[in-house]
Amino acid sequence: MGFLITTLIFIVTGVIASLLVRICCNRGPSGNLFHLTLVITATVCCWMMWAIVYLAQMKPLIVPILSEGE
Amino acid sequence: MKFFDNLPAMDLMRSEKMTFVQLIIPFESAHRAISYLGELGLLQFRDLNDDKSPFQRTFVNQVKRCGEMSRKLRFFKDQINKAGLLPTTRPTLQPNIDLEELEIQLSEHESELIEMNTNGEKLRQAYNELLEFKMVLQKAGGFLVSAQSHTVAQDRELEETVYLNNHHIERTSLLEQEMQPGPSNQAGLRFISGIICKSKILRFERMLFRATRGNMFFNQAPAEEYVTDPVLAEKVEKTVFVVFFSGEQARTKILKICDAFGANCYPVPEDITTQRQITREVLSRLSELEATLDAGIHHRNKALTSILSHLKKWTVMVRKEKAVYDTLNMLNFDVTKKCLVGEGWCPIFAKHQIQEVLRRATIDSNSQVGIIFHIMDAVESPPTYFKTNKFTHAFQEIVDAYGVARYQEANPSVYTVITYPFLFAVMFGDWGHGICLLLGALILIARERRLGSQKLGSFMELAVGGRYVVLLMALFSIYCGLIYNEFFSVPFRMFGETAYKCRDPSCSDARTTGLIKYRDTYPFGVDPSWRGSRSELPFLNSLKMKMSILFGVAQMNLGILLSYFNARFFRSSLDIRYQFVPQMIFFNSLFGYLALLIVIKWCTGSQADLYHVMIYMFLSPTDDLGDNQLLWAQRPLQILLLLLAVIAVPWMLFPKPLILRKIHLERFQGRTYGLLGTSEMDLDVEPDSARQRHEEFNFSEVLVHQMIHAIEFVLGAVSNTASYLRLWALSLAHSELSTVFYEKVLLLAWGFDNILIRLAGLAVFAFATAFILLMMETLSAFLHALRLHWVEFMNKFYYADGYKFRPFSFSSLADEDD
Repeated sequence: MGFLITTLIFIVTGVIASLLVRICCNRGPSGNLFHLTLVITATVCCWMMWAIVYLAQMKPLIVPILSEGE
Repeated sequence: MKFFDNLPAMDLMRSEKMTFVQLIIPFESAHRAISYLGELGLLQFRDLNDDKSPFQRTFVNQVKRCGEMSRKLRFFKDQINKAGLLPTTRPTLQPNIDLEELEIQLSEHESELIEMNTNGEKLRQAYNELLEFKMVLQKAGGFLVSAQSHTVAQDRELEETVYLNNHHIERTSLLEQEMQPGPSNQAGLRFISGIICKSKILRFERMLFRATRGNMFFNQAPAEEYVTDPVLAEKVEKTVFVVFFSGEQARTKILKICDAFGANCYPVPEDITTQRQITREVLSRLSELEATLDAGIHHRNKALTSILSHLKKWTVMVRKEKAVYDTLNMLNFDVTKKCLVGEGWCPIFAKHQIQEVLRRATIDSNSQVGIIFHIMDAVESPPTYFKTNKFTHAFQEIVDAYGVARYQEANPSVYTVITYPFLFAVMFGDWGHGICLLLGALILIARERRLGSQKLGSFMELAVGGRYVVLLMALFSIYCGLIYNEFFSVPFRMFGETAYKCRDPSCSDARTTGLIKYRDTYPFGVDPSWRGSRSELPFLNSLKMKMSILFGVAQMNLGILLSYFNARFFRSSLDIRYQFVPQMIFFNSLFGYLALLIVIKWCTGSQADLYHVMIYMFLSPTDDLGDNQLLWAQRPLQILLLLLAVIAVPWMLFPKPLILRKIHLERFQGRTYGLLGTSEMDLDVEPDSARQRHEEFNFSEVLVHQMIHAIEFVLGAVSNTASYLRLWALSLAHSELSTVFYEKVLLLAWGFDNILIRLAGLAVFAFATAFILLMMETLSAFLHALRLHWVEFMNKFYYADGYKFRPFSFSSLADEDD
């Protein structure tokens, strides 16, 4: 559940970011497409990073074993 | 697929469309046209006079003149630096002067400066000589005065004050002679006084002793101050000496020896009044000379300052003129038609600008004939030109360092702008260090204007040039640091509660069996409970290794996809069917499947051993999977994937060369007769430009090339995927270093009560963080991310055998020559 919601948050952030970039720096169709590519790539990279770390911790096979003196 | 066709062309994706142009310029507007084109900076000239030596070219005299002028300008710069002058206020604005006038002015200034320098030299030499004379007068005068008293002459070499018997000196006055007491030695005792370098005095004295067979007396005293030797023009320690001797032969010998040793002899009068008189004269002459010298220096500095205010402008002008003449030398000079023919490349979008510029040049030079500018076809492939701004320029440079893109192939820097800093951040992930990098990047960007105009060392230049790269690297590092939950290796509980707690309230088995996960996963990043636990490393290693594989598979799939888009753009369906498709199938049936298994294992929490699954998929695919089963129908699926991979290898190897051969044979079947008749067909081609035609098709070469490509891909699939594990390795190294510095330096020092130890610990921690983590780790992660891009990503689609567009531009001159 938390996975899907946060994925949705990432998608929404990506859309907002592309809209902002379109508003701030509108440089004609070829420039806009380039900016859109950058924003999408960045969103996908960030989402992948988060998703991997989240999925790895969902059903852990090992648990933290505290060390001495903690 | 239609969707991709309807999209507009992306900015940086493919090279700007270039076209080959020919210019025919009448002679009178040539110079102006080329200078205006240089200011526009969008046309790359081809050297049509390649085979001629520099001395055979048309404008060789002008180039020589420009060379001469820049030599004079360098001379001025040298003199200004030696005089230690700095540029004063704003340089005075002067109307633009012509090149010939500038030449005349420069030679005038040069002769003036050289004259002033020579005069100054002469004056200085005279000044130094007088200074020495003054010193000799002072010291030798002392000797001669002290020699009034009686003593026996002794030939002791190193004594300073020795008293002499009376002596006769030829130039003495009658008064002096009367004052001499005591028995005189011999008649005609004379002396020579002078000054010599201190280092030579012992040998000098010995030589004199031998030459005069002991019949001399030597007296010396060191000069108190350093004297500038008139000949050598450097400061040395000198000693004043007086040699007493008798006889004319001894005199000539002594003079010759003085000459040989470089001792300067100055006549000192015997009696004290003359001495005083001469000393006064010398002093007055010295002050005169000082005044003259100062006036001379002042005059010269004035001249230099007036040159300095124009120097930069002149240097730029001369450089531009030289560049214009060098370019004019590249054009073909047609004497009969009195025009110059030039060829070159320019981007298509610049066509109108160039025509406008040429029109302006025609008008400005009052020429009757316009400049002809028309587009031609070229056989060779055009240069590659990407229009970059200050942000994308650094990334394009990174990609160009590997190789310049072929004309109109996909440019990897579109994706590199994001993936490169991102992969750096995966290896660097620590948001404390990320903030430090961010501060550095922001400082560089805030000062970019000032730093851009200065001259910097090569390392600083790299840093300033890459400031936007560093900015993105810092931003992504902060993000990855938040995900890894490391702030100088300290975890924070920022995103809610940790998901782990003790099994029972007493936490009795927390150190043996460990905690238990009782809530939903920690929402953002690595759970803070992991830091410091004994099972931290096994967990993080497993996480990061799988993460690296996933990123690797994703980036390499992107690379293969870009090769599809390239093939589509160049309309090579052969490449799509017999290269892209088998590559995709092979790669994804093995490593895409591995990525899928990783994700499924995570989602289901299964205990399957993925190493076992992958290895036995190859070794014994028909075996029962047992505990390692992750999917339904996994065994038949694996057999299918294995078969697909095995089919894909000959699929990417054989069809393409065979079909190419077939196409080539078909194309030339009808042409075998045509070839005889068309051997003259090159006549209508312009004789000036060089054209080459490749019509050979070597089947074995193509087959070997395809085989190399296929083998590289197949073997590379395994090795490149493993290569991505460096993401894991470097991030582990960074995290461990960071932990060591934090725990073993800072915490250790903080444990003591003493403020000094705490401060020392803080200082060591700061230095270690700054130099090892921030500098060395940054460079290391930078390098490895670079390698991942250059090798693993780009060898899937990037040919990189193009050449860069280098237009004739005045602005690029300024970067080059400095």
